[in-house]
Amino acid sequence: MITAEHVGYAYRGNVRTVSDLSFHIEKGEFVALLGENGAGKTTAVKLIAGLLRPTEGRMTVNGLDTAKTRVSERAKQVGFLFQNPDRQICENTVRDEIAFGLRAVWGKKETERIRERTDELLEVFGFRGDEDPFSLSRGQRQQVALTSTLAPRPAVLLLDEPTTGLDYRECTRIMEFIRRLNETEGTTVVMVCHDMEIVLDYARRALVMAGGHLLDDGPVKEIFRDAPLLEKASLLPPQIVQIAGRLGGEFAGADDAQTLSSLIAETAKKKGERA
Amino acid sequence: MTDLFQVVPGNSPLHRMNPVTKIVLTLAVSVAAFLTDNLFVLLFLLAFDLMIGVVGGVTRKAFSIFKGLLKVSVFLFILQALFVRRGNRLFWIVTDEGLLTAAAVVLRLLVVCLPLALIMTVTQPSDIANSLVQVLHLPYAYAFTLTTAIRFIPQFMEEMSGIMEAQTARGVEFDTKNAAKKLGMLLPLCVPLLISSVRRTGATATAAKARGFELRTRQSGYKRYGFGAVDLMGFLVSAALIAGAALIR
Ligand SMILES: Nc1ncnc2c1ncn2[C@@H]1O[C@H](COP(=O)(O)OP(=O)(O)O)[C@@H](O)[C@H]1O
Ligand SMILES: [Mg+2]
Repeated sequence: MITAEHVGYAYRGNVRTVSDLSFHIEKGEFVALLGENGAGKTTAVKLIAGLLRPTEGRMTVNGLDTAKTRVSERAKQVGFLFQNPDRQICENTVRDEIAFGLRAVWGKKETERIRERTDELLEVFGFRGDEDPFSLSRGQRQQVALTSTLAPRPAVLLLDEPTTGLDYRECTRIMEFIRRLNETEGTTVVMVCHDMEIVLDYARRALVMAGGHLLDDGPVKEIFRDAPLLEKASLLPPQIVQIAGRLGGEFAGADDAQTLSSLIAETAKKKGERA
Repeated sequence: MTDLFQVVPGNSPLHRMNPVTKIVLTLAVSVAAFLTDNLFVLLFLLAFDLMIGVVGGVTRKAFSIFKGLLKVSVFLFILQALFVRRGNRLFWIVTDEGLLTAAAVVLRLLVVCLPLALIMTVTQPSDIANSLVQVLHLPYAYAFTLTTAIRFIPQFMEEMSGIMEAQTARGVEFDTKNAAKKLGMLLPLCVPLLISSVRRTGATATAAKARGFELRTRQSGYKRYGFGAVDLMGFLVSAALIAGAALIR
């Protein structure tokens, strides 16, 4: 689905921000992009989206070279949720906002189809449709932006820090929706995220970046257990993984636990076996 | 484009000059440019502008601003040349007087804009504000408004390019050749730009008030803006420019 071959990128007049990035992401994967601020994560997702064109190497999405694909063609394939929803929203009602993205991708003539899809999404997300997006809360604006991003059913969904600044409920709501999309429609998801708990809960694979380089690429669970790697990328694993790791010596097998309840169950079992 | 209004630090005579002197110098160049119709004087003033850049240690920037202005100038020159009907016809509908007038207009534009942009690149906006308050007794609220407006320009441009990027991601084709179509695409973007600007202005005002904006007086700044030898030079040059332009015409 997404293939990066030795991709490098330098902003005009600057040194390389991203170098020698190579990875392959299959259709339907849920990948987290990890790394400290300035590691080049946003640059990397913009490269996937084709918003930036590689200055070295090649990036292909769905078999199309991003450097040679037209904006409209690419927008049909790839949805991009920006860190700041306010840059995306430009219509006066939520309904118009969702329709705006659809019109840009499907064309103005598809009025009937656009109306149907808009109605459907309004219902799913529980919007009336006549709300003014700019008077909504930050979390709701993020939801509006997400809704209009995924409206044209992109095969790839790129999320740049989708949960930053959201409260717990808003965050869960958005993430659950994305998970459903990933599981039922097979949408490929690439997500930049600083919240390791969310990464553990939702993503299956992680790419770790530091200083513009790809440090590691593997299943989230394995990445989180690799202490030296996390150290190098200035990341802290989720508490549950830390606790499980500590307990691992005494209760072998417990370090597989991903949730608190499974950790308790696992350690209780081991304790029972020993007694 | 975004680095156009970014201040280049340094210790050149221009950096050391009192901001008020710099403003006087800029005004003097502008006044001189409007006093004269003589192309040679205008050319001399243009050379003087570039000299300011050299003295300020921002030669490269001066030339890049010059190049940027040149594009606008070519457009303006052609327009002027086509629309002036007086004088003797040289070819097609272009007259000799048309060409001369066009040249004067364009040179004036360059002469006036260049030092303004250059002064901005060697002076912190806060220094301009504070010196205006201290030396010219301008109320701080006005000086603050002025410099805040300048300070917001790069942020504004960054915001605009961010918005355009976000809209491109949604499939809006800015790379169209059709100018009318492009304008139609840009209009909706004014909404997010306006919203973010209003929000930012509100936030800045609140932050300024929270830090005692209203308590500020002319004496509040810790930095004193005195006048030295460079300033004397600046005033002399300003006077010479105006006098010269007025005499030669
Ligand atoms: N438009 C730009 N122009 C120049 N440098 C940039 C630009 N955007 C980002 N950078 C630089 O590239 C580096 C990586 O940025 P970014 O990809 O945003 O990192 P992250 O998203 O991981 O925090 C940073 O050092 C940043 O300063
Ligand atoms: Mg980022």
